Amino acid sequence: MLEVLEPGLLTTVQDSGRPDWTHLGVPIGGACDGWSLAVANLLTGNGPGLAAVEMTLIGATFAVHSPITIGLAGADLGGVVRESGRRLMPGRTHRLDGYTTIAFGGDASSSTAREYLAVPGGIDVPLVLGSASTALGAGFGGIDGRRLQPGDVLRPASTNGGSETGGATRPDVVWPALADDPLGDLTADAPIRILPGPAEGLEALAAVEWRVAAGSDRVGLRLEGPSIATGETGPAREFVSHGVVLGAIQVPAGGAPIILLADHQTTGGYPIAAVVISADHSRLGQLRPGASVRFAPVTLEDARVALALQQEALARGTASLRDDAGWDELWQSAGG
Amino acid sequence: MSGDPPGVLGGAVPRIEPLGDSALLVTLGDVIDLELNRQAQGLAAAVERLRRSGADRRFGRPVPAYASVLVPFDPLALDADEARAIVAGLFDGPQPPGTDEPGEVIEIPVRYGGDDGPDLAAIAAAHELTPADVVRLHSEADYRVYFLGFAPGFAYLGPLPAAIVTPRLATPRERVPAGSVAIADAQTGVYPFALPGGWRIIGRTDTPMWDLRRDRPSFLQPGARVRFRAIG
Repeated sequence: MLEVLEPGLLTTVQDSGRPDWTHLGVPIGGACDGWSLAVANLLTGNGPGLAAVEMTLIGATFAVHSPITIGLAGADLGGVVRESGRRLMPGRTHRLDGYTTIAFGGDASSSTAREYLAVPGGIDVPLVLGSASTALGAGFGGIDGRRLQPGDVLRPASTNGGSETGGATRPDVVWPALADDPLGDLTADAPIRILPGPAEGLEALAAVEWRVAAGSDRVGLRLEGPSIATGETGPAREFVSHGVVLGAIQVPAGGAPIILLADHQTTGGYPIAAVVISADHSRLGQLRPGASVRFAPVTLEDARVALALQQEALARGTASLRDDAGWDELWQSAGG
Repeated sequence: MSGDPPGVLGGAVPRIEPLGDSALLVTLGDVIDLELNRQAQGLAAAVERLRRSGADRRFGRPVPAYASVLVPFDPLALDADEARAIVAGLFDGPQPPGTDEPGEVIEIPVRYGGDDGPDLAAIAAAHELTPADVVRLHSEADYRVYFLGFAPGFAYLGPLPAAIVTPRLATPRERVPAGSVAIADAQTGVYPFALPGGWRIIGRTDTPMWDLRRDRPSFLQPGARVRFRAIG
Protein backbone atom coordinates (compact mmCIF):
# COMPACT_ATOMS: atom_id res chain seq x y z
CA MET A 1 0.00 0.00 0.00
CA LEU A 2 0.97 3.61 -0.56
CA GLU A 3 0.59 6.42 1.98
CA VAL A 4 0.43 10.02 0.80
CA LEU A 5 3.17 12.13 2.40
CA GLU A 6 2.82 15.18 0.16
CA PRO A 7 -0.15 15.41 -2.23
CA GLY A 8 1.38 17.73 -4.84
CA LEU A 9 -0.61 20.28 -6.82
CA LEU A 10 -3.76 18.32 -7.66
CA THR A 11 -3.72 14.58 -7.11
CA THR A 12 -6.98 12.61 -7.31
CA VAL A 13 -8.30 9.09 -7.82
CA GLN A 14 -9.81 8.78 -11.33
CA ASP A 15 -11.14 5.97 -13.50
CA SER A 16 -13.00 6.07 -16.81
CA GLY A 17 -15.79 8.21 -15.31
CA ARG A 18 -19.56 7.94 -14.74
CA PRO A 19 -21.39 8.52 -18.04
CA ASP A 20 -24.82 7.29 -16.93
CA TRP A 21 -25.91 10.13 -14.63
CA THR A 22 -25.65 13.18 -16.88
CA HIS A 23 -29.46 13.59 -16.90
CA LEU A 24 -29.23 14.41 -13.19
CA GLY A 25 -26.49 17.01 -13.70
CA VAL A 26 -23.61 14.69 -12.71
CA PRO A 27 -20.40 15.46 -14.67
CA ILE A 28 -18.90 12.42 -16.43
CA GLY A 29 -15.48 13.17 -14.92
CA GLY A 30 -12.77 10.51 -15.01
CA ALA A 31 -9.15 10.75 -16.12
CA CYS A 32 -8.35 13.84 -18.21
CA ASP A 33 -6.09 11.65 -20.38
CA GLY A 34 -7.97 8.41 -20.90
CA TRP A 35 -5.23 6.94 -23.10
CA SER A 36 -2.60 7.20 -20.37
CA LEU A 37 -5.04 5.89 -17.74
CA ALA A 38 -5.53 2.85 -19.99
CA VAL A 39 -1.78 2.33 -20.57
CA ALA A 40 -0.93 2.57 -16.85
CA ASN A 41 -3.67 0.05 -16.06
CA LEU A 42 -2.87 -2.39 -18.88
CA LEU A 43 0.82 -2.40 -17.90
CA THR A 44 -0.22 -3.36 -14.39
CA GLY A 45 -2.43 -6.19 -15.58
CA ASN A 46 -5.70 -4.31 -15.14
CA GLY A 47 -8.60 -3.55 -17.45
CA PRO A 48 -8.08 -0.14 -19.09
CA GLY A 49 -10.62 1.88 -17.10
CA LEU A 50 -9.83 0.97 -13.46
CA ALA A 51 -9.16 3.55 -10.74
CA ALA A 52 -5.64 5.05 -10.73
CA VAL A 53 -3.95 8.13 -9.31
CA GLU A 54 -3.96 11.23 -11.53
CA MET A 55 -1.16 13.71 -10.72
CA THR A 56 -0.97 17.20 -12.21
CA LEU A 57 2.22 19.20 -12.95
CA ILE A 58 3.70 18.64 -9.49
CA GLY A 59 2.99 15.10 -8.34
CA ALA A 60 2.74 13.43 -4.96
CA THR A 61 5.24 11.84 -2.58
CA PHE A 62 4.26 8.41 -1.23
CA ALA A 63 5.61 6.15 1.50
CA VAL A 64 5.68 2.57 0.17
CA HIS A 65 4.79 0.37 3.17
CA SER A 66 4.99 -3.02 1.47
CA PRO A 67 6.40 -4.29 -1.83
CA ILE A 68 4.19 -3.42 -4.80
CA THR A 69 4.34 -3.14 -8.57
CA ILE A 70 3.09 0.14 -10.04
CA GLY A 71 2.42 1.12 -13.65
CA LEU A 72 3.14 4.67 -14.81
CA ALA A 73 1.96 6.45 -17.95
CA GLY A 74 1.45 9.95 -19.31
CA ALA A 75 3.63 12.93 -18.42
CA ASP A 76 7.05 12.40 -16.85
CA LEU A 77 6.71 14.23 -13.54
CA GLY A 78 10.25 13.32 -12.52
CA GLY A 79 9.38 10.22 -10.48
CA VAL A 80 12.22 8.86 -8.34
CA VAL A 81 12.82 6.40 -5.50
CA ARG A 82 14.23 8.71 -2.80
CA GLU A 83 16.44 6.11 -1.10
CA SER A 84 18.17 4.75 -4.21
CA GLY A 85 17.78 7.62 -6.67
CA ARG A 86 16.24 5.20 -9.18
CA ARG A 87 14.21 7.07 -11.82
CA LEU A 88 10.60 6.00 -12.32
CA MET A 89 9.85 6.59 -15.98
CA PRO A 90 6.30 6.55 -17.41
CA GLY A 91 5.32 3.93 -19.98
CA ARG A 92 6.43 0.96 -17.85
CA THR A 93 5.97 -0.86 -14.55
CA HIS A 94 8.26 -0.61 -11.55
CA ARG A 95 8.69 -3.06 -8.70
CA LEU A 96 8.99 -1.10 -5.45
CA ASP A 97 10.43 -2.42 -2.18
CA GLY A 98 8.72 -1.81 1.15
CA TYR A 99 9.93 0.97 3.44
CA THR A 100 10.87 3.22 0.54
CA THR A 101 9.64 6.64 -0.59
CA ILE A 102 8.69 7.62 -4.11
CA ALA A 103 8.40 11.25 -5.20
CA PHE A 104 7.00 12.88 -8.35
CA GLY A 105 8.35 16.37 -7.80
CA GLY A 106 7.37 17.74 -11.19
CA ASP A 107 9.53 18.57 -14.15
CA ALA A 108 9.20 22.09 -15.53
CA SER A 109 10.83 21.01 -18.78
CA SER A 110 8.11 18.43 -19.43
CA SER A 111 5.77 19.29 -22.28
CA THR A 112 2.86 17.38 -20.74
CA ALA A 113 0.75 17.84 -17.62
CA ARG A 114 -0.62 14.61 -16.10
CA GLU A 115 0.90 11.35 -14.95
CA TYR A 116 -1.08 8.23 -13.99
CA LEU A 117 -0.06 5.69 -11.36
CA ALA A 118 -1.85 2.34 -11.45
CA VAL A 119 -1.70 -0.51 -8.93
CA PRO A 120 -2.72 -4.19 -9.34
CA GLY A 121 -6.50 -4.51 -9.42
CA GLY A 122 -6.97 -0.74 -9.37
CA ILE A 123 -7.09 1.51 -6.33
CA ASP A 124 -9.50 0.14 -3.76
CA VAL A 125 -12.08 2.86 -3.11
CA PRO A 126 -15.87 2.51 -2.94
CA LEU A 127 -17.73 3.02 -6.22
CA VAL A 128 -20.17 5.95 -6.20
CA LEU A 129 -22.77 5.88 -8.97
CA GLY A 130 -20.73 3.14 -10.60
CA SER A 131 -17.37 4.91 -10.62
CA ALA A 132 -14.32 5.50 -8.41
CA SER A 133 -13.66 8.91 -9.96
CA THR A 134 -13.36 11.91 -7.67
CA ALA A 135 -16.09 14.46 -8.46
CA LEU A 136 -14.38 17.52 -6.98
CA GLY A 137 -17.23 20.00 -7.54
CA ALA A 138 -19.90 17.84 -5.91
CA GLY A 139 -17.55 16.28 -3.35
CA PHE A 140 -18.06 12.54 -3.85
CA GLY A 141 -16.11 9.60 -5.26
CA GLY A 142 -12.42 8.78 -4.90
CA ILE A 143 -11.34 9.41 -1.32
CA ASP A 144 -14.13 11.40 0.36
CA GLY A 145 -14.77 13.35 -2.83
CA ARG A 146 -11.62 15.43 -2.49
CA ARG A 147 -8.05 15.73 -3.67
CA LEU A 148 -5.57 13.50 -1.84
CA GLN A 149 -4.02 14.84 1.36
CA PRO A 150 -1.21 13.72 3.67
CA GLY A 151 -2.10 10.52 5.53
CA ASP A 152 -4.41 9.11 2.84
CA VAL A 153 -3.75 5.42 2.24
CA LEU A 154 -4.11 3.87 -1.23
CA ARG A 155 -4.63 0.12 -1.30
CA PRO A 156 -4.50 -2.07 -4.40
CA ALA A 157 -7.72 -4.02 -4.97
CA SER A 158 -5.63 -7.09 -5.85
CA THR A 159 -2.36 -8.34 -4.42
CA ASN A 160 -1.14 -10.17 -7.48
CA GLY A 161 -2.51 -8.26 -10.45
CA GLY A 162 -5.43 -8.60 -12.74
CA SER A 163 -5.73 -11.09 -15.56
CA GLU A 164 -6.58 -8.58 -18.26
CA THR A 165 -3.10 -8.62 -19.78
CA GLY A 166 -2.02 -12.01 -18.55
CA GLY A 167 -1.19 -10.78 -15.05
CA ALA A 168 1.53 -8.52 -16.36
CA THR A 169 2.71 -7.45 -12.97
CA ARG A 170 6.32 -8.42 -13.50
CA PRO A 171 8.89 -5.70 -12.97
CA ASP A 172 9.98 -3.77 -16.03
CA VAL A 173 7.01 -4.36 -18.28
CA VAL A 174 7.35 -1.73 -20.99
CA TRP A 175 4.54 -0.36 -23.14
CA PRO A 176 5.55 -1.15 -26.71
CA ALA A 177 6.58 1.68 -29.02
CA LEU A 178 3.66 2.11 -31.40
CA ALA A 179 2.87 4.10 -34.44
CA ASP A 180 -0.32 6.15 -33.84
CA ASP A 181 0.47 6.73 -30.17
CA PRO A 182 -1.53 9.89 -29.40
CA LEU A 183 1.05 11.11 -26.92
CA GLY A 184 3.68 10.73 -29.62
CA ASP A 185 1.58 13.17 -31.60
CA LEU A 186 1.40 15.56 -28.69
CA THR A 187 5.14 15.90 -28.26
CA ALA A 188 5.37 16.29 -32.06
CA ASP A 189 3.32 19.47 -31.61
CA ALA A 190 0.62 18.37 -34.08
CA PRO A 191 -2.47 20.59 -34.19
CA ILE A 192 -5.57 19.60 -32.20
CA ARG A 193 -8.21 18.43 -34.67
CA ILE A 194 -11.63 20.10 -34.56
CA LEU A 195 -15.09 19.78 -36.09
CA PRO A 196 -17.48 22.69 -36.70
CA GLY A 197 -19.80 23.62 -33.83
CA PRO A 198 -23.31 25.09 -33.98
CA ALA A 199 -21.89 28.65 -33.79
CA GLU A 200 -19.42 30.38 -36.09
CA GLY A 201 -15.74 30.65 -35.27
CA LEU A 202 -14.06 27.52 -36.69
CA GLU A 203 -11.87 29.47 -39.12
CA ALA A 204 -10.95 32.05 -36.47
CA LEU A 205 -9.87 29.25 -34.11
CA ALA A 206 -7.74 27.63 -36.81
CA ALA A 207 -6.17 30.93 -37.95
CA VAL A 208 -3.80 31.59 -35.05
CA GLU A 209 -1.72 29.94 -32.34
CA TRP A 210 -3.34 29.90 -28.87
CA ARG A 211 -1.85 29.74 -25.41
CA VAL A 212 -3.27 27.69 -22.52
CA ALA A 213 -4.07 30.16 -19.69
CA ALA A 214 -3.17 29.72 -16.03
CA GLY A 215 -6.82 29.48 -14.89
CA SER A 216 -7.24 26.08 -16.58
CA ASP A 217 -8.37 23.10 -14.50
CA ARG A 218 -10.17 19.74 -14.83
CA VAL A 219 -13.36 21.59 -15.82
CA GLY A 220 -11.93 23.51 -18.76
CA LEU A 221 -8.87 24.74 -20.61
CA ARG A 222 -8.89 28.51 -20.98
CA LEU A 223 -7.21 29.86 -24.10
CA GLU A 224 -5.46 33.19 -24.59
CA GLY A 225 -5.42 34.82 -28.02
CA PRO A 226 -7.58 37.09 -30.12
CA SER A 227 -11.32 37.43 -29.42
CA ILE A 228 -13.59 35.18 -31.44
CA ALA A 229 -16.88 36.29 -32.97
CA THR A 230 -19.49 33.51 -32.96
CA GLY A 231 -22.30 35.35 -34.74
CA GLU A 232 -24.43 34.76 -31.64
CA THR A 233 -24.51 37.78 -29.39
CA GLY A 234 -28.16 37.88 -28.38
CA PRO A 235 -28.74 37.37 -24.65
CA ALA A 236 -31.85 35.25 -25.32
CA ARG A 237 -29.97 32.53 -27.21
CA GLU A 238 -27.24 32.41 -24.63
CA PHE A 239 -29.49 31.26 -21.82
CA VAL A 240 -31.30 28.42 -23.62
CA SER A 241 -28.76 25.92 -22.29
CA HIS A 242 -28.38 22.50 -23.86
CA GLY A 243 -26.37 19.34 -23.22
CA VAL A 244 -22.65 19.78 -23.97
CA VAL A 245 -19.74 17.41 -24.64
CA LEU A 246 -16.10 16.96 -23.68
CA GLY A 247 -13.95 18.90 -26.15
CA ALA A 248 -16.60 21.53 -26.96
CA ILE A 249 -14.92 24.91 -27.50
CA GLN A 250 -17.24 27.45 -25.88
CA VAL A 251 -16.92 31.15 -26.58
CA PRO A 252 -18.41 33.30 -23.78
CA ALA A 253 -19.31 36.95 -24.34
CA GLY A 254 -15.72 38.12 -23.80
CA GLY A 255 -14.56 36.11 -26.83
CA ALA A 256 -11.87 34.04 -25.00
CA PRO A 257 -12.45 30.34 -25.79
CA ILE A 258 -12.79 27.59 -23.15
CA ILE A 259 -12.36 23.90 -24.08
CA LEU A 260 -14.51 21.66 -21.89
CA LEU A 261 -12.52 18.95 -20.05
CA ALA A 262 -13.49 15.87 -18.00
CA ASP A 263 -15.27 17.66 -15.12
CA HIS A 264 -17.33 19.96 -17.36
CA GLN A 265 -20.96 20.65 -16.46
CA THR A 266 -23.52 18.56 -18.28
CA THR A 267 -25.27 21.56 -19.85
CA GLY A 268 -24.14 24.98 -21.04
CA GLY A 269 -25.48 28.05 -22.78
CA TYR A 270 -22.42 29.62 -24.39
CA PRO A 271 -22.01 29.48 -28.18
CA ILE A 272 -19.88 26.48 -29.28
CA ALA A 273 -17.53 27.38 -32.15
CA ALA A 274 -15.98 23.92 -32.61
CA VAL A 275 -15.61 20.50 -30.97
CA VAL A 276 -12.30 18.63 -30.54
CA ILE A 277 -12.39 15.11 -32.04
CA SER A 278 -12.50 12.18 -29.58
CA ALA A 279 -9.09 10.89 -30.69
CA ASP A 280 -7.52 14.14 -29.43
CA HIS A 281 -9.24 14.25 -26.01
CA SER A 282 -6.27 12.63 -24.28
CA ARG A 283 -3.96 15.26 -25.75
CA LEU A 284 -6.24 17.99 -24.35
CA GLY A 285 -5.74 16.45 -20.91
CA GLN A 286 -1.97 16.76 -21.32
CA LEU A 287 -1.85 20.48 -22.18
CA ARG A 288 -0.04 22.58 -19.58
CA PRO A 289 -0.70 26.21 -18.75
CA GLY A 290 1.57 28.22 -21.05
CA ALA A 291 1.56 25.56 -23.80
CA SER A 292 0.82 26.76 -27.31
CA VAL A 293 -2.01 25.13 -29.24
CA ARG A 294 -3.00 25.13 -32.88
CA PHE A 295 -6.26 23.81 -34.31
CA ALA A 296 -6.90 22.06 -37.63
CA PRO A 297 -10.44 21.52 -38.97
CA VAL A 298 -11.11 17.94 -40.12
CA THR A 299 -14.15 15.98 -41.32
CA LEU A 300 -16.35 13.59 -39.34
CA GLU A 301 -14.83 10.73 -41.33
CA ASP A 302 -11.28 11.87 -40.40
CA ALA A 303 -12.39 11.91 -36.75
CA ARG A 304 -13.79 8.38 -36.95
CA VAL A 305 -10.67 7.01 -38.64
CA ALA A 306 -8.41 8.69 -36.06
CA LEU A 307 -10.40 7.17 -33.20
CA ALA A 308 -10.38 3.73 -34.83
CA LEU A 309 -6.58 3.92 -35.25
CA GLN A 310 -6.20 4.85 -31.59
CA GLN A 311 -8.39 1.95 -30.42
CA GLU A 312 -6.41 -0.34 -32.68
CA ALA A 313 -3.12 0.94 -31.22
CA LEU A 314 -4.40 0.23 -27.70
CA ALA A 315 -5.47 -3.27 -28.75
CA ARG A 316 -2.08 -3.95 -30.37
CA GLY A 317 -0.26 -2.75 -27.24
CA THR A 318 -2.47 -4.96 -25.06
CA ALA A 319 -1.86 -7.99 -27.31
CA SER A 320 1.88 -7.36 -27.17
CA LEU A 321 1.82 -7.31 -23.33
CA ARG A 322 -0.11 -10.62 -23.35
CA ASP A 323 2.42 -12.20 -25.72
CA ASP A 324 5.29 -11.09 -23.49
CA ALA A 325 3.56 -12.56 -20.46
CA GLY A 326 3.11 -15.80 -22.42
CA TRP A 327 6.82 -15.93 -23.26
CA ASP A 328 7.73 -15.36 -19.63
CA GLU A 329 5.61 -18.33 -18.62
CA LEU A 330 7.18 -20.53 -21.28
CA TRP A 331 10.64 -19.43 -20.17
CA GLN A 332 9.90 -20.16 -16.54
CA SER A 333 8.26 -23.53 -17.21
CA ALA A 334 11.31 -24.46 -19.31
CA GLY A 335 13.42 -23.87 -16.23
CA GLY A 336 14.79 -20.50 -17.39
CA MET B 1 -45.25 27.11 -30.17
CA SER B 2 -47.45 26.52 -27.15
CA GLY B 3 -50.47 26.64 -29.47
CA ASP B 4 -49.42 23.40 -31.17
CA PRO B 5 -51.27 20.16 -30.37
CA PRO B 6 -49.81 18.55 -27.26
CA GLY B 7 -48.40 15.41 -28.94
CA VAL B 8 -45.18 14.49 -27.22
CA LEU B 9 -43.12 14.21 -30.38
CA GLY B 10 -45.59 15.65 -32.88
CA GLY B 11 -45.72 19.14 -34.28
CA ALA B 12 -42.17 20.34 -33.84
CA VAL B 13 -39.65 20.34 -36.67
CA PRO B 14 -36.39 19.40 -34.96
CA ARG B 15 -32.87 20.25 -36.02
CA ILE B 16 -30.63 17.19 -35.64
CA GLU B 17 -26.94 18.15 -35.88
CA PRO B 18 -23.74 16.43 -34.79
CA LEU B 19 -22.03 18.02 -31.76
CA GLY B 20 -18.52 16.67 -32.26
CA ASP B 21 -17.93 13.11 -33.50
CA SER B 22 -19.84 11.22 -30.81
CA ALA B 23 -23.09 13.07 -30.08
CA LEU B 24 -26.13 14.54 -31.80
CA LEU B 25 -27.81 17.69 -30.56
CA VAL B 26 -31.54 17.59 -31.27
CA THR B 27 -32.93 21.12 -31.03
CA LEU B 28 -36.71 21.49 -30.86
CA GLY B 29 -36.76 25.27 -30.47
CA ASP B 30 -34.74 28.28 -29.35
CA VAL B 31 -36.94 29.47 -26.48
CA ILE B 32 -37.80 28.31 -22.96
CA ASP B 33 -41.27 26.86 -23.35
CA LEU B 34 -43.27 24.22 -21.45
CA GLU B 35 -44.46 22.39 -24.58
CA LEU B 36 -40.98 22.25 -26.15
CA ASN B 37 -39.67 20.95 -22.84
CA ARG B 38 -42.30 18.18 -22.77
CA GLN B 39 -41.21 17.19 -26.27
CA ALA B 40 -37.53 17.21 -25.26
CA GLN B 41 -38.23 14.97 -22.27
CA GLY B 42 -40.38 12.71 -24.43
CA LEU B 43 -37.56 12.27 -26.91
CA ALA B 44 -34.99 11.66 -24.15
CA ALA B 45 -37.30 9.00 -22.69
CA ALA B 46 -37.64 7.38 -26.12
CA VAL B 47 -33.84 7.21 -26.55
CA GLU B 48 -33.50 5.86 -23.01
CA ARG B 49 -36.07 3.13 -23.74
CA LEU B 50 -34.12 2.17 -26.85
CA ARG B 51 -31.01 1.80 -24.66
CA ARG B 52 -32.76 0.00 -21.81
CA SER B 53 -34.45 -2.50 -24.09
CA GLY B 54 -30.95 -3.69 -24.91
CA ALA B 55 -31.74 -3.12 -28.57
CA ASP B 56 -29.31 -0.27 -28.89
CA ARG B 57 -26.32 0.11 -26.62
CA ARG B 58 -24.67 2.19 -29.32
CA PHE B 59 -26.31 5.24 -27.77
CA GLY B 60 -25.26 6.90 -24.51
CA ARG B 61 -27.45 8.44 -21.80
CA PRO B 62 -29.52 11.25 -23.41
CA VAL B 63 -29.37 14.68 -21.74
CA PRO B 64 -32.61 16.69 -22.04
CA ALA B 65 -32.52 20.46 -21.50
CA TYR B 66 -35.10 23.27 -22.01
CA ALA B 67 -35.84 22.56 -25.67
CA SER B 68 -33.18 20.09 -26.79
CA VAL B 69 -31.74 16.63 -26.20
CA LEU B 70 -28.07 15.68 -26.41
CA VAL B 71 -27.81 12.10 -27.70
CA PRO B 72 -24.31 10.58 -27.30
CA PHE B 73 -23.39 7.66 -29.54
CA ASP B 74 -20.40 5.38 -30.10
CA PRO B 75 -18.79 6.65 -33.32
CA LEU B 76 -17.05 3.33 -33.92
CA ALA B 77 -20.36 1.46 -33.86
CA LEU B 78 -22.49 4.00 -35.71
CA ASP B 79 -21.77 6.84 -38.11
CA ALA B 80 -23.43 10.22 -37.61
CA ASP B 81 -25.88 9.73 -40.50
CA GLU B 82 -27.05 6.37 -39.14
CA ALA B 83 -27.42 7.84 -35.66
CA ARG B 84 -29.40 10.75 -37.08
CA ALA B 85 -31.73 8.40 -39.00
CA ILE B 86 -32.43 6.32 -35.87
CA VAL B 87 -33.16 9.41 -33.77
CA ALA B 88 -35.33 10.97 -36.51
CA GLY B 89 -37.26 7.69 -36.62
CA LEU B 90 -38.22 8.14 -32.95
CA PHE B 91 -40.28 11.18 -33.92
CA ASP B 92 -42.59 8.89 -35.90
CA GLY B 93 -42.93 6.36 -33.11
CA PRO B 94 -45.83 6.05 -30.66
CA GLN B 95 -46.16 8.58 -27.90
CA PRO B 96 -43.95 7.32 -25.09
CA PRO B 97 -46.13 6.34 -22.14
CA GLY B 98 -45.72 8.17 -18.89
CA THR B 99 -43.56 11.00 -20.18
CA ASP B 100 -46.12 13.67 -19.63
CA GLU B 101 -48.67 12.37 -17.19
CA PRO B 102 -49.25 15.16 -14.70
CA GLY B 103 -47.60 13.52 -11.69
CA GLU B 104 -48.30 14.54 -8.14
CA VAL B 105 -46.96 17.89 -6.98
CA ILE B 106 -43.74 17.63 -4.98
CA GLU B 107 -43.73 20.14 -2.13
CA ILE B 108 -40.60 21.89 -0.87
CA PRO B 109 -40.93 23.75 2.48
CA VAL B 110 -38.99 27.04 2.50
CA ARG B 111 -37.98 29.58 5.13
CA TYR B 112 -38.16 32.82 3.14
CA GLY B 113 -36.20 36.02 3.83
CA GLY B 114 -33.91 37.00 6.68
CA ASP B 115 -30.51 35.29 6.79
CA ASP B 116 -31.95 32.46 4.72
CA GLY B 117 -33.00 34.74 1.86
CA PRO B 118 -30.66 37.75 1.74
CA ASP B 119 -31.91 38.98 -1.67
CA LEU B 120 -35.65 38.88 -0.90
CA ALA B 121 -35.99 42.53 0.14
CA ALA B 122 -34.05 43.84 -2.88
CA ILE B 123 -36.18 41.78 -5.29
CA ALA B 124 -39.35 43.12 -3.68
CA ALA B 125 -38.07 46.70 -3.92
CA ALA B 126 -37.06 46.26 -7.58
CA HIS B 127 -40.61 45.23 -8.48
CA GLU B 128 -42.33 47.70 -6.09
CA LEU B 129 -43.75 44.78 -4.12
CA THR B 130 -43.56 43.83 -0.44
CA PRO B 131 -41.39 40.83 0.53
CA ALA B 132 -44.65 39.08 1.49
CA ASP B 133 -45.93 39.61 -2.08
CA VAL B 134 -42.79 38.00 -3.50
CA VAL B 135 -43.15 35.02 -1.13
CA ARG B 136 -46.82 34.63 -2.04
CA LEU B 137 -46.13 34.77 -5.80
CA HIS B 138 -43.18 32.37 -5.55
CA SER B 139 -45.02 29.84 -3.39
CA GLU B 140 -48.38 29.94 -5.22
CA ALA B 141 -47.03 28.91 -8.62
CA ASP B 142 -46.71 25.37 -9.97
CA TYR B 143 -43.28 24.75 -11.49
CA ARG B 144 -41.98 22.15 -13.90
CA VAL B 145 -38.47 20.65 -13.70
CA TYR B 146 -37.19 21.65 -17.14
CA PHE B 147 -33.96 19.71 -16.64
CA LEU B 148 -31.06 19.13 -14.25
CA GLY B 149 -27.69 20.72 -14.87
CA PHE B 150 -25.01 23.02 -13.41
CA ALA B 151 -24.41 20.56 -10.55
CA PRO B 152 -25.73 17.12 -9.48
CA GLY B 153 -29.34 17.53 -8.35
CA PHE B 154 -29.70 21.16 -9.45
CA ALA B 155 -33.13 21.44 -11.12
CA TYR B 156 -34.03 24.34 -13.40
CA LEU B 157 -37.67 25.12 -12.46
CA GLY B 158 -40.13 27.39 -14.20
CA PRO B 159 -41.91 29.37 -15.32
CA LEU B 160 -41.57 31.99 -12.58
CA PRO B 161 -44.53 34.42 -12.25
CA ALA B 162 -43.81 37.39 -14.53
CA ALA B 163 -44.14 39.89 -11.67
CA ILE B 164 -40.98 38.58 -9.97
CA VAL B 165 -38.76 37.79 -12.97
CA THR B 166 -35.34 39.22 -12.01
CA PRO B 167 -31.93 39.02 -13.72
CA ARG B 168 -28.95 37.27 -12.15
CA LEU B 169 -26.54 39.14 -9.87
CA ALA B 170 -23.92 41.07 -11.84
CA THR B 171 -21.21 39.48 -9.68
CA PRO B 172 -21.83 35.86 -8.61
CA ARG B 173 -21.31 34.88 -4.96
CA GLU B 174 -18.31 32.67 -4.27
CA ARG B 175 -20.39 30.46 -2.01
CA VAL B 176 -24.15 29.97 -1.97
CA PRO B 177 -25.16 27.76 1.01
CA ALA B 178 -26.71 24.32 0.50
CA GLY B 179 -30.51 24.42 0.32
CA SER B 180 -30.66 28.05 -0.88
CA VAL B 181 -33.82 28.73 -2.89
CA ALA B 182 -33.02 31.25 -5.60
CA ILE B 183 -34.34 32.89 -8.74
CA ALA B 184 -32.74 34.01 -12.02
CA ASP B 185 -34.66 35.45 -14.96
CA ALA B 186 -37.86 33.38 -15.31
CA GLN B 187 -36.50 30.39 -13.37
CA THR B 188 -36.13 29.22 -9.81
CA GLY B 189 -34.06 26.46 -8.23
CA VAL B 190 -32.49 25.04 -5.08
CA TYR B 191 -28.71 24.77 -4.59
CA PRO B 192 -28.10 21.08 -3.73
CA PHE B 193 -24.87 21.83 -1.86
CA ALA B 194 -22.64 24.87 -1.32
CA LEU B 195 -21.56 26.23 -4.71
CA PRO B 196 -20.54 29.48 -6.33
CA GLY B 197 -23.57 31.06 -7.97
CA GLY B 198 -25.21 34.19 -9.38
CA TRP B 199 -28.87 33.45 -8.68
CA ARG B 200 -30.71 35.71 -6.19
CA ILE B 201 -31.35 33.94 -2.90
CA ILE B 202 -34.86 34.32 -1.41
CA GLY B 203 -34.99 31.48 1.12
CA ARG B 204 -33.71 28.12 2.29
CA THR B 205 -35.03 24.56 2.55
CA ASP B 206 -33.90 21.64 4.70
CA THR B 207 -35.10 19.11 2.10
CA PRO B 208 -31.91 17.57 0.65
CA MET B 209 -31.88 17.93 -3.13
CA TRP B 210 -28.94 15.50 -3.51
CA ASP B 211 -28.40 12.50 -1.25
CA LEU B 212 -26.24 9.57 -2.36
CA ARG B 213 -27.77 7.33 0.33
CA ARG B 214 -31.06 7.33 -1.59
CA ASP B 215 -31.70 4.93 -4.48
CA ARG B 216 -32.53 8.01 -6.52
CA PRO B 217 -29.92 10.50 -5.33
CA SER B 218 -31.69 13.47 -6.92
CA PHE B 219 -34.84 14.66 -5.09
CA LEU B 220 -36.21 16.06 -8.36
CA GLN B 221 -36.39 14.32 -11.74
CA PRO B 222 -36.84 15.92 -15.17
CA GLY B 223 -40.52 16.71 -15.78
CA ALA B 224 -41.54 16.66 -12.10
CA ARG B 225 -44.08 19.23 -10.80
CA VAL B 226 -42.93 21.30 -7.85
CA ARG B 227 -44.46 23.80 -5.44
CA PHE B 228 -42.77 25.73 -2.64
CA ARG B 229 -44.50 26.18 0.74
CA ALA B 230 -43.63 29.01 3.14
CA ILE B 231 -42.82 27.85 6.67
CA GLY B 232 -42.02 29.90 9.77
